Amino acid sequence: MDCTTTSPAARRYLRRFLVTMLLYVVFIVLAVSVFVHYRPTGPLAWLLAVLPALAIILQIAAYGLYLAEETDEFQKNLAVQSMVWGIGATLSVTVTWGFLENFVQLRHMDLFLVYPLFCGLSGIAYGLVGRRYR
Amino acid sequence: MFDSCKTNNPAAWRFTLRFIVLSLLYGLFSVLSAAGLLLWHPTGIVIWLLAVLPAIPIAMAVLVTGRYMNEEKDDFQRAVLVQALLGGIGATLVITTVWGFLENYAHFHRLDILFLWPIYLVFVAIAYYIVKAKYR
Repeated sequence: MDCTTTSPAARRYLRRFLVTMLLYVVFIVLAVSVFVHYRPTGPLAWLLAVLPALAIILQIAAYGLYLAEETDEFQKNLAVQSMVWGIGATLSVTVTWGFLENFVQLRHMDLFLVYPLFCGLSGIAYGLVGRRYR
Repeated sequence: MFDSCKTNNPAAWRFTLRFIVLSLLYGLFSVLSAAGLLLWHPTGIVIWLLAVLPAIPIAMAVLVTGRYMNEEKDDFQRAVLVQALLGGIGATLVITTVWGFLENYAHFHRLDILFLWPIYLVFVAIAYYIVKAKYR
């Protein structure tokens, strides 16, 4: 799934990923500015909070599409492994943080950092898993 | 996989057994970690070691899932699991993002980050049954 790939499925995924990532950033900026400036409550607050999550849903759908479209079994396996390692590492970090937060008064982890954390760790996992097969 | 009680698939059986052992380990390590941090008031590196303890079975669960995918000869079962994992990951990330915003800007009740692991497991299980039902 790197930028030098010739796989059409991977190229499509990269395009979709970039679009959804851009949407995520736009939605985050929009939601934060409305929350900060207008302090909405009730259903509007919920709607704004859901906005960035829509981009996440689209990104997960793009990943699912990539897995369905990719014909190279090796690449598909690499993508699945990095996803599994990404979520495993994310949950390991959050559990460790959770214990420190609950019992040693470490500051509360901002929940909307979980998604970027997962993306970062999956990316690292993709590099590491790919390297193992070189 | 989740309905491996009815299956005679050896890979699914092994996965379920390993997962049960790891879940028990997670419970045990969580109690140990909480008791250690609350009762002994450790300092320095011991705090970190105790906090990392419950994360070990989670990391091992990832290994076990990867191993199951390699051992599972049935492509359909593997595809269902991958879709269920995607569903579980998506739902967990959506919940944390929405809740994070409400927590920060709408004074919503704080979500204990320790709940992320059970939330993820529940959604993987729900997604698994939904995907399975889709193919029935």
